[in-house]
This record gives sequence, structure tokens and C-alpha cells, in this order.
Amino acid sequence: MWSEKYRPKKPDQLIGNEEARLALALWLSKWDPGTKAALLVGPPGTGKTTFVNLLAKSSGMNLVDLNASDVRTKDKLQKRMGEAMATVSLFGERSLIFLDEVDGLAGRADIGAVEFIKESVKESQNPIVMAANDPDSDEIKKLSSSCVSVRFRPPPPREVEMYLREVARGEGLAVSDEKFRGFVMEAAGDVRQAINLLQGSQQASPGEDDSRGRYKDRDRTESEALNGFFGAADKQEAMAALRALSMSAFEKVREVHRSVVKSGLPAPEMARALDAVSRADVLIGKMMKGGDWRLLRYLDRIFVEELYPVVRGMAVKYTGQDDLPFPMMARVWNDSKKIREISLRYAARAHTSGMSARSQDLPYVFALCSKKKFREELEHHLGLDADRDVLESYDKFLAKEAAR
Amino acid sequence: MEKKEVIVGGWFDLPRLGTEVFSALVRRNGVVYDKSTGFKFDASTDLPGAVRTLRSAGVEVELSLRCFVCGKSACPGCPYLESCDRTSVSTLCLCADHAPEKSVFEAYTKTFDVNLKG
Repeated sequence: MWSEKYRPKKPDQLIGNEEARLALALWLSKWDPGTKAALLVGPPGTGKTTFVNLLAKSSGMNLVDLNASDVRTKDKLQKRMGEAMATVSLFGERSLIFLDEVDGLAGRADIGAVEFIKESVKESQNPIVMAANDPDSDEIKKLSSSCVSVRFRPPPPREVEMYLREVARGEGLAVSDEKFRGFVMEAAGDVRQAINLLQGSQQASPGEDDSRGRYKDRDRTESEALNGFFGAADKQEAMAALRALSMSAFEKVREVHRSVVKSGLPAPEMARALDAVSRADVLIGKMMKGGDWRLLRYLDRIFVEELYPVVRGMAVKYTGQDDLPFPMMARVWNDSKKIREISLRYAARAHTSGMSARSQDLPYVFALCSKKKFREELEHHLGLDADRDVLESYDKFLAKEAAR
Repeated sequence: MEKKEVIVGGWFDLPRLGTEVFSALVRRNGVVYDKSTGFKFDASTDLPGAVRTLRSAGVEVELSLRCFVCGKSACPGCPYLESCDRTSVSTLCLCADHAPEKSVFEAYTKTFDVNLKG
């Protein structure tokens, strides 16, 4: 996949967070024993882990990579970090200790772990970098006095477009400005998704309607990723395939479930596979109920550790979303163009993806459209009122959706 | 509501905010205040929080990003101006002179390397 082929190979090839990346590189270049640790805080997918990996590589340092969610007690941390903290090579070469997801040190299980990290920062002979998603978690507040905090954010759309154009140049493609912007808007800050959309668009049949092609392409990318998971040679490949899948957590569980149910697995394997899917579903439920988005990081792991060993070599296939009820299919056929246009415009305004807009927000927005005033405001904000005929047709459509 | 354009990374002044709002603003993560030069928001600033605080005092802030390559204001004429949430994206961008369609990736990486060495 192009998202793998064009993964940054040097620290300067990442986009976004320029000041954060420079600050971290400067911190590392000036690091001496006793210096504070660095704490990278930002949402998933903003390049924290990638940058640390590239920085270690470009500095000729050995990276000791630990996930705090897996090593939550003081004893375990001591065992895994102890040697790395104290060891410097005969030639003075240092290791970079990377402790990812430190906001995962939550609850009773972390007793002593945060204090151990704070002590380690003072004593370590090697630089320690930590990463976290949630700047307001208790663990981050406790650690902040021992750390230099660096904030990571999603890259601005113009930089995503720059990267996308670089990928297109590498592939020798001629793509219109409008298409580039469409991919950038739909990806909503996710560079990997933008690249997947670009790749998908180039695999569509020539002559197809652009936006329809884009939909088909995304389905194809989804299908490629899901079938990549089911047919992976090992767990690592399975994980890579899932990470390349640009679906929301709900959609991921739903499509994996659909594929398993339709696979015709023998009963014992079917039971084990569905058991694994149900655990993923419970996880999403817990995440939604408690608003604990950090649980999301375990979703792919459940699929890889629990489902993949069951379905491996069993010819499970993702066959696409072809079993929707007829009224829904009819609606998709008849209204898909308008829904697509509205969802893209809405996604751009709400800073979300087109897919999320369609699946999560628009049903409610359409319900609110029963009020004329709301409908008019929505049409204005989405720029549907530029042309009288277009406005009329969208207004009718929205009124119809509201009545539905 | 009074409108105020603020370039992230640049100094700016504000009308009198009152003690309470002023304290709330400078207590926000990463908001810098200097009596002689005014206020500054940068990459470490809690931008959504700072914008909310100012809105509560009747000041509507329009954030503008700087160009990473040349330092100019990046937002004027940007095709994403309407859709870009500048409180949540990273604080440097690309201006019209260094727009993506001008194959600027090389200049971009070069600028990063120069800053890294400097």
C-alpha cells in the first residue's frame, strides 16, 4: 500500500508539528544525565511514535520501546527499564528509552509505577521520552514536574495536501487540484487515510463519475485491508492490515462480524471467532459508556490476539456491504449523490471524516431538518444556497429526509 | 463582539479584559504575556481554551497560522480557510507563495533541516 511505501524515512519528512519536532530534537541533542524527560502529548495518529523512531534512527541511538499499558507495575517497569537506563556502550553510545501511552498507567495496577518513572528520570544514563494521548489524565499531571512537555496536533490541511502531492509525484500521477482537496477534506487530518483515498482513486475504472469512483475506491481499500487481515501470514501482518483500515471502531467491529458470520466456519471455530468479536464489541460499548477513548487502542489487539489465530487459514473473506435491506439499498441508489455531497460539506465544517458524518451525525441533522429555519441555516452553512435550482432540490431532499 | 486577528507565534494586544478574564487567560497553558509586547500564543498554548476565555470576554479571535518556510501569514487565500479548525491543528502551515501545488516538499524538508542545525 502507498501509505506504507511513502511512510517517512527521515525526521524531516514528517509533516505538521514542526515546532514540537524541532523542540524534541533540540532536547535530545542537549541531553545529559539528570535532564528532564520529554513528554509528547497529543491525539493518536499525529506522529509521536513515528517521530521518536525516526529521531532515534537518525541519531544512531538504539531505541528501547516500551508500552506503558503493558508494563503497568513498578516491578515490571524496573525489570524492563532498569538495564536500559543504566547501560551506556563502551564508546559512550546511548539508547533512547521510549515509554508509549503513559496515560495508560491508570487505576490500582499502576501502584508505584509513576513514582518509579519520576525517579528513573533523575537517575537514567539514557534519555527517556514518554508519549500520551490525554493531556488531562492524572498520570500526566503527576509526571509533568519531571518532564518537558511537547504538544502534538494533527497537521493542517494544506500540509496534508503537500504530502499527498508528493506521493502523486512519486507515482507519476496527474490529479486535479479539486480531487486533491476532496481527499484532504475527507481524510480530516489523517495523512494515511488521504493517501489511501488517492491510491483508491487511481484504481477505479476510467470514465467513472468522480465521486462515485471515490466511494468505490474506499470500499476497495477497506476490502483490501480486511482481507489482508483475514489472510495475513502472521500477527504482525494482521496488525499492519488493521491499522491501514480507515474505518471507525464501530464500523470495524460491524464489518469483521459480518465477514465472520458469512464465512461458514465450522461451529467450534465460529463460536471462538464470535466470542472474540463480542469482546471487541463489549470494549467499544465500555468506551462509549464511560467516554474512555483510550480503550480504543486495544481494539486491534483483540482482533489480532484473539480473532486472528482462529480465522487464520480458514478462508474468511470480506465480501463488502452487499447485504443491506432493500429499502436501504433503494435509498442509497436514489439519494446517494446528495448524501455524499452533504456529508462532505458537513465533514469539512465539523472537522470530521465524511464516513463519520454519514454514519453518526447526519441521521440527527436530517431529523432536525423538519424545522424550516434549521434547514435554511444548514443550507446556508453548507453553501448549498449558491444556486437557486440546486438549493431547491436540496431543500426538497432535506425535507423528505426529515419526514422519513 | 469585537473581532481580533491573532497570528499564532506573534505578539498581539487586546482591549482591557478585566482582572478576572486576564488572570484566566494567562493561567491557560502556554499563553505568554509581556507588559511591553503584549500577548503571544504558540505551539504549546491551549488554543481552544484561550479562544474560549476571550470569547467569554466579548473578543472573537480569528487565528492565523504562519508559513513554516518563510514565516509569512499563511491563511489569506487558503482554500481550506473555512474548514480548517486552527485551534486544533499544528501551528505552522504553508502560505500562498509556498502552496502545495508549487512542489514545495523539498523546500519544506530543507527548512526543517536548516532549523534543526541552527
